[in-house]
Amino acid sequence: MIPFEYRTPKNLKEVNATLQEFGSDAKLIAGGTALVIMMKQRLVRPSCLVSLRSVRGLNAIELKNGGISIGGLATHREVEGSSLIRRRLPMLAETYHHVATLRIRNMATVGGGLAHADPNQDPPPSLIALSATIKATSVNGSRMIPLDEFFKDYYESVLAQDEIITEVMVPKLAPNTGAAYIKFLPRTADDYATVSAAAVLTLDKTKKTIADVRIALGSVGVTPIRATAAEAVLRGQPLKADGFAEAGEKAKEAVDPVSDFRGSAAYRPSRAGKSPGGHSSAIES
Amino acid sequence: MKFSQTAQIPVAREPLWNFLMDVPKVAKSLPGVESVSKIDDTTYEGALAVRVGPIKLNLQGKIILEEQNKDAWRAALRAEAKDRMAAGAVNGKTSMTLKELGANETELLVETDVNILGKIGEFGQPIIRKKADAMLKEFVENIKKQLTGK
Repeated sequence: MIPFEYRTPKNLKEVNATLQEFGSDAKLIAGGTALVIMMKQRLVRPSCLVSLRSVRGLNAIELKNGGISIGGLATHREVEGSSLIRRRLPMLAETYHHVATLRIRNMATVGGGLAHADPNQDPPPSLIALSATIKATSVNGSRMIPLDEFFKDYYESVLAQDEIITEVMVPKLAPNTGAAYIKFLPRTADDYATVSAAAVLTLDKTKKTIADVRIALGSVGVTPIRATAAEAVLRGQPLKADGFAEAGEKAKEAVDPVSDFRGSAAYRPSRAGKSPGGHSSAIES
Repeated sequence: MKFSQTAQIPVAREPLWNFLMDVPKVAKSLPGVESVSKIDDTTYEGALAVRVGPIKLNLQGKIILEEQNKDAWRAALRAEAKDRMAAGAVNGKTSMTLKELGANETELLVETDVNILGKIGEFGQPIIRKKADAMLKEFVENIKKQLTGK
């Protein structure tokens, strides 16, 4: 084992101070589901681990400005089981339900998962489609970052070394809005997706025309990807199957997949193109 | 894993060839290379630092020049490197071919066959292709700067 310092700050102020003290050698640890594996493999070797276990008050899930605020330290299981989220955003509860196994969901936190910036995770496409914003806090204060601008590269985000994700804000859905997340899994249910897709679609008053749509894809590039060209094809159009087929073609163009054992780079765009079509039926039903 | 990359460099073939055969100079143009020293005419020793997200690899190893054929404008080298801390190694073969496109324009064709072993492979295999593209791009920019002063 490689020795490291272990700190247990009691509140956000102490967390921020510790991060500032150790600089780039410190790593925050909440559920530890991703970091501990990387440390065991000696891929990540921080000189200081800053445990968030004793930090209170960062795991609330509550209504805020009409939308839902999820504390950075809320676990995946808490989101999945929250009656508020199940009632208001069932698609988000379902997305978190799809993450790995129950044992992982009991430990992994919402903020920790996003900070890990693994492009294969389930929550990012759903949260991007839902127009979520994250709040990042450091000694210098807080800033809000729209999630579709948060992911930078493979396992990299715009989060600075001294910042911590304290909150995820999901705005209220417009009337006549449907949302869905689907995950294509060739192996076991607890695996990462080969391709995943989330869509949030709003109809106008007549309920026949698409007023707005947001589509995001996972596991098809070095970051989660928002399929803006596919959205543009659908926006303002009547709710018809050909529109979704065309959007599917556009979604294929947006992806830039990496090959791994869950599917080759050549195979994934064809899956990504299919996903929005699957969504349309989920929304209509 | 095998892949090939091409880049166009606004330099004549001859000076580009001479530059590419100077291993320490080339190494300095490669992003992440920390040191290179000559062991004998065809063997070099060096260290490379690569960063992917939260992971920092410090690779130390050897580069062996296996082919240097100016008539065919082709060179090949083999690299073997290990990370000191993480359980893993990188073994690769790269060949470079220069094609004349114009008086001051050369195409560089790079063909690589690389294996990443151990834990770093599990994490790094999916991303190596994209990292390699980013590295070549930066490498070409560095060559341009050094050879054309731009």
